Amino acid sequence: MQNKGFLRLKEILAMTLILVGIKLSDSTPALMAQKAQNGFWLIPLLSFICILPSFLIMLYLLKKYQDKNIVELLESLTGKWIGKCVGILLFIFAFLTLTLDSRNYIEQIKLLYFPESPTDLIYFVFIAVVFIGAKKGIEVIGFTSWITLFTIKAAFVLVLILIYGDIVVQRIFPIFGASLPVVLSEGVKKAGIFAELFFLLIAYQSAKRTSMFRKGILLASIIVLLEITIFYFVYASVFDYNSIKKIQFPFHDITQYINLGNFLTNIETIFMIFWLFAAFIKFIIFIYITTWIFGEIFAIRNFEPLLLPFSFLVIIIGLSPFNSVINELVFRETLLTIMSPFFIIFPFVLWIIAWGKGDLKQ
Amino acid sequence: MKKKLLIVLGFVILLAGCNDRIELEQQSYVIAIGIDNTDQKGVYAFTYQIANPEVGSSAIQSGPDEPPTEIVTVNGADILTATYTANSFVSKKITLDHTRIIIASEEAARSEDFLRVIQSASRTPQIRRGVQLVISKESATDFINNNEPIMEKRPHKYYQFMLSRANQTGIIPRATLHRFFQITEGDADLFLAIYATTDQSDEKKNERGFEDQYIAGEIPQIGGSPTQFMGSAVFKEGQMIDILNGEESRIAQTLDNTLEMGDYLATIPDPLMPEYRISYEYSQKQKPSININYHKDKPTEIDVKVHFQAEIIAIPSLIGYTQNKDKQKVLEESIIQRLEEKTNTLIKKSQEEYRSDPFYWSLYIRKHFKDVKSYEKADWHKKIYPNAKINVTYYIDKLEFGKMLDDSHLDEVRD
Repeated sequence: MQNKGFLRLKEILAMTLILVGIKLSDSTPALMAQKAQNGFWLIPLLSFICILPSFLIMLYLLKKYQDKNIVELLESLTGKWIGKCVGILLFIFAFLTLTLDSRNYIEQIKLLYFPESPTDLIYFVFIAVVFIGAKKGIEVIGFTSWITLFTIKAAFVLVLILIYGDIVVQRIFPIFGASLPVVLSEGVKKAGIFAELFFLLIAYQSAKRTSMFRKGILLASIIVLLEITIFYFVYASVFDYNSIKKIQFPFHDITQYINLGNFLTNIETIFMIFWLFAAFIKFIIFIYITTWIFGEIFAIRNFEPLLLPFSFLVIIIGLSPFNSVINELVFRETLLTIMSPFFIIFPFVLWIIAWGKGDLKQ
Repeated sequence: MKKKLLIVLGFVILLAGCNDRIELEQQSYVIAIGIDNTDQKGVYAFTYQIANPEVGSSAIQSGPDEPPTEIVTVNGADILTATYTANSFVSKKITLDHTRIIIASEEAARSEDFLRVIQSASRTPQIRRGVQLVISKESATDFINNNEPIMEKRPHKYYQFMLSRANQTGIIPRATLHRFFQITEGDADLFLAIYATTDQSDEKKNERGFEDQYIAGEIPQIGGSPTQFMGSAVFKEGQMIDILNGEESRIAQTLDNTLEMGDYLATIPDPLMPEYRISYEYSQKQKPSININYHKDKPTEIDVKVHFQAEIIAIPSLIGYTQNKDKQKVLEESIIQRLEEKTNTLIKKSQEEYRSDPFYWSLYIRKHFKDVKSYEKADWHKKIYPNAKINVTYYIDKLEFGKMLDDSHLDEVRD
């Protein structure tokens, strides 16, 4: 089950696409629209521009320090103890993102499709499936991502095609939404939405060749950016600037709204299946890499038995926010605001240290 | 032993997914919801029209006496809670997933609290954004109870066909809840809802009207279903303020790029013999172009160009328009003139009486602003629109005469 390093470019690509790409269908757009109004579709673009240099530096450093993943890189650059502390910080970020996100997805499933089942039960079943999936190891996860990728993306494209008639492009004007300074500052603050890219760096060694990993993740991040921007653009043009911030799950609102002609109405369940597929895979990847980061920090080579306690912890912590609105608008917002500067600045610090040590010259 | 235990445990987890299971026959599907005011503030009378799935289906033979719908009315604070009250006499769980239309009485729609009750509809995932909003002249309960479709008994098909056909001809707008919320929350334009009635009091009949110059209830009708869908209810800031007739609804939809309308037939007085009327089919192959020149300190200029095609259907005056260029010119001009006249009347009415536009034109001024704050400060429906200089020009791209080259010559027939 352990990683032997057989993943290829396409699996890395698929994993990244699903892990980050599904952001377009949760309540992240609603979170961004709170302040930026209809200018929120520009935020992912700005965030990506902010975070890209840092991400490239990380990839460059990993390339320089062959045979290391992100935690090992931290330790060898900043020393054992500081490295471990930063590693723990990274782990806490990953774990909190995982937990808050999972609560968000549970709320979506409950609100829209299982209104009468108790939240705890849905949470338990969901995480149980995720746990079983994660237990299979990174190669199975990568392969599963690849084979489901096309059906998932096809479903999303179908949504785009069906909603096309209801898009009113003029709704994206005034172009900067709330105002240019708001959009810019939100763009920086919400750079944390791409934090998953950094978490994925733990799997740097799992690819057959590290160049495959680098190419895969870079290619995927560009595709993901396009996807997210297109979908946010659609949300901004289907919903007006005052309505968009009231809607918690715009993706599901759209799937409920669209029809396949006059005969096939109420077709949201079709999309729910593919969306659920993607959600399962997202959390399988996420819980696996989070546990992996933890395992690396404490030098637990065989970390997979830890998946069970972590799954359990996700349920317990995920259930603690009082409701989904607090979960999303307070906790997740705060987490993103804290994570963003960390991921923007920290790679530069690492780079300076590496440069100071003179390791980059070789 | 351990393996067996695991299998049983596995079933326990899998079966947990059946928590929300509900059989089809345990549910009642509501097709239409009626909203009426009651004497008490905050309490409304909700009417649910529940479809009988066994009627009209080829798969199940239903008894001949079974009615196609069951109609119940209960009082309640919001749409969803009232369904639970209704369960005291409806045998199954009332499900709103298949609701096609929400009917509000004119009285309820004109009250200030209308937004409160309709807003609660958007919170539940059961009511889709595609549900259409119909305003009835009488109470919604009466409307649903009096509505007796003759040919299409199944209510969901009845409403679907009725609304989509009437919408194609332009006499009623497409009025989804989605659009209602976007326009109301956008707080700049007027929303048009469908206007309908089953109330056919004779004194209000409009015997002098032509094909689309009616509002529902005015159309002299013999036979058929008593329900008339005609015209639109004008909403400003979530409250109904007026009614537009079929003709005005058509014009409003022509000028609104976000609405789609099919071709329609209309008549104009014959320019050469005004006692007869010429019928033509109006069709629009491209959306009108709307140009707004925004001026901060003087009236904004709105320039609208509408390109359309016309096909002459009937010339009862038997004047030979088909083969005479000059007469065609006269005809073209009189069609254009009439359209422009009607359009200008509607625009004037909206500027002076409503002080806002039913065309969703605020969309086109937005690009002149960089952010929402300055856009809201410029105030489309208080400052810009009511004072704007609006110029609508119609261009006729094509004038066809059907499959006849010429009409009968009256003097030759009666010599």
